[in-house]
Amino acid sequence: MLTHGLAEPAGPKRVVLLGAGGFVGGAIAKRLALLGIATLALTRKEMDLLVQGAGDRLAGLLRDDDSLVFVSALAPTRTAAMLIDNLRMGEAVTQALAKRPVAHVVYISSDAVYPDDANPVTERTPCHPVSLHGVMHLAREVMLRTAVRAPLAILRPSLLYGAADPHNGYGPNRFRRLAAKGESITLFGGGEEMRDHVLIDDVGALAVEALRHRSAGVLNVATGQSHSFRRVAEMAAALVPAKVQINDSPRQNPITHRHFDVTDCLKAFPTFRYTNLADGLARTAKES
Amino acid sequence: MRAPVIGYAGLTHLGLVSAVAAAAKGFRTAGYDPDAERVRSIAAGKLPVVEPDLDELAVKHRDKLAYSADPQVLRDCDLVYISTDVPTDDRGQSDLGGIVALIERVIPALNPQALLVVLCQVPPGFTRKLALAPDRLYYQVETLVFGRAVERAMQPERCIVGCADPAKPLPAPFRRFLGAFGCPILPMRYESAELAKISINCCLIASVTVANTLAELSEGIGADWSEVAPALRLDRRIGQYSYLAPGLGIAGGNLERDLATVLRLSQAVGSEAGAIQAFLDNSAHRRDWALRALHDEVFARKPDAAIGILGLAYKENTHSTKNSPSLALIRHLGPWAIRVYDPVVPASAAGHPRATGAKDALDVARGVDALAIMTPWPAFKTLRPSDIARARKGRTVLDPYRVLNGPAAAAAGLDYLTLGAPPLRARAGN
Repeated sequence: MLTHGLAEPAGPKRVVLLGAGGFVGGAIAKRLALLGIATLALTRKEMDLLVQGAGDRLAGLLRDDDSLVFVSALAPTRTAAMLIDNLRMGEAVTQALAKRPVAHVVYISSDAVYPDDANPVTERTPCHPVSLHGVMHLAREVMLRTAVRAPLAILRPSLLYGAADPHNGYGPNRFRRLAAKGESITLFGGGEEMRDHVLIDDVGALAVEALRHRSAGVLNVATGQSHSFRRVAEMAAALVPAKVQINDSPRQNPITHRHFDVTDCLKAFPTFRYTNLADGLARTAKES
Repeated sequence: MRAPVIGYAGLTHLGLVSAVAAAAKGFRTAGYDPDAERVRSIAAGKLPVVEPDLDELAVKHRDKLAYSADPQVLRDCDLVYISTDVPTDDRGQSDLGGIVALIERVIPALNPQALLVVLCQVPPGFTRKLALAPDRLYYQVETLVFGRAVERAMQPERCIVGCADPAKPLPAPFRRFLGAFGCPILPMRYESAELAKISINCCLIASVTVANTLAELSEGIGADWSEVAPALRLDRRIGQYSYLAPGLGIAGGNLERDLATVLRLSQAVGSEAGAIQAFLDNSAHRRDWALRALHDEVFARKPDAAIGILGLAYKENTHSTKNSPSLALIRHLGPWAIRVYDPVVPASAAGHPRATGAKDALDVARGVDALAIMTPWPAFKTLRPSDIARARKGRTVLDPYRVLNGPAAAAAGLDYLTLGAPPLRARAGN
């Protein structure tokens, strides 16, 4: 559950954004710029958290009335080496915050901290990651909880999509790109699995709302509407005039679904509306 | 043997209803409460609780009832019940400070042979620790049900009595008093009786949780839980009185208290209580049904919607709003204008900056985009869907407890949403 330090939202004095060059960080930067919020946007080029002394360097940039958004990550974390590197980045951030505390911290985590069979997922679902990526985010959450004395908001997004997505993983981004090229879409099995897909702009909007309310606690970033991959493929195919072939393939793994109960978001940000998947895909197609 | 005189220390909901019931059974009854203003009000016939038949019975048997803010009123009593409500905090933890202070005030006022019976909801282990001779000290399970308190007090299914030694017969005055209720008397150890109360509530919650879980599933798969539940009631292993009606989570405070007690005790002794936590999780989830439905059905389409709320009490026939699903909903409707009405609870209890009190149930529907019937007061059953349809601006009706006739509501042009069944959409042409 997210609680707000500010009942009436107000622009933070300055936001320091770590990981501004990435897919999620870019969306947050875009939203901050739209609202005219002063931002120090740091990409890996300006602030490499894996370099010796990164914590001190970051501390030198921070002011006590800053809001810090920590997005930087080597993602997805597939290897032990990546896990260690991600934790070292977390270590640098916590060292900086120990040296120079700030007014507010927002950490962008992941729904990978939850077990695969949790249903429906809420902010109270016990964390039990089964992937290194989930372990990495959960470890960084705990590192921040231990180190941060200011209000700390942890956002855990579900599967993200958007024009700038670099991963092209199985789901909306790949399906839309295949459809745009007139290529067929191949589903795992019959594409029965249901997932909750979030437009990247909505992550940016929610992160900025958390900043404007100086929120603390945990919030899942999920629409509350899960769709089967087949349905997603059909939506992607419907965006192009040509007929797109959707193929099944032999199923390798048992079917699992993931649904979110997003009541906490309705309570934290009652007037916020997620973009529905059809509209989000159409917007993404235009932006591509 | 003369009829025993019965005393009640603590004239909140439990004590007042119990005292009136004792008088109605023909016993001279004394009621003590340290709150002088409360006592004055009760003595003047202004009862601070709302329960069907309570006012009438209190008037009818007034000659057998003595009320006082002085514990000496209990001096002639053969049997004195400690009968104050035990308050709980937001996490269901009991505050036992009040009951302990009350007992300390009452014991010196008792006659030397009088029995003391703890009637309040207390955690297992509480009664045995009290400083009174074991042969004068008892615990009795209360079965108060808000909205049915008088009926339950007059006709209990059984009397569960906690004793220091259950093998010994109950003292004659106690036996005579309990005998007036014509039901089985079950003596047992203090701790067993204290746990029996909690066990009853856990079983009820288990049934409600099953109903809530399967009702939600019904909504998703096209089943109607109201068709399923009667079939279950005819199964002897489940029973016709089972709590199978789905609801908006657990409310009222007492059930939550028992779950919190079981969790705390289980943690202390290391017993497994995962199911109890699951009850709480399900309750929290279902409590927000109306909030989710309003967002899905109304706010997503009309961001400036106005909402009508019928009912503020946590259930019908009570003034209590403790853990009320209605107030829980209203707490999260901050950005929207609301109209509210409850037959007993004032609109100010909504605590909402944009709430307007309506003059009656139908008046709530005037001009609103959605109507939520959050407490199933009998009076709301007289509302006609066609009148609601004429009064409202939008067509969404949330009726979790099926106060209205769903098909009639859809026929009148309303989108009808209830627990345990898929939505009934407004019929075309309306």
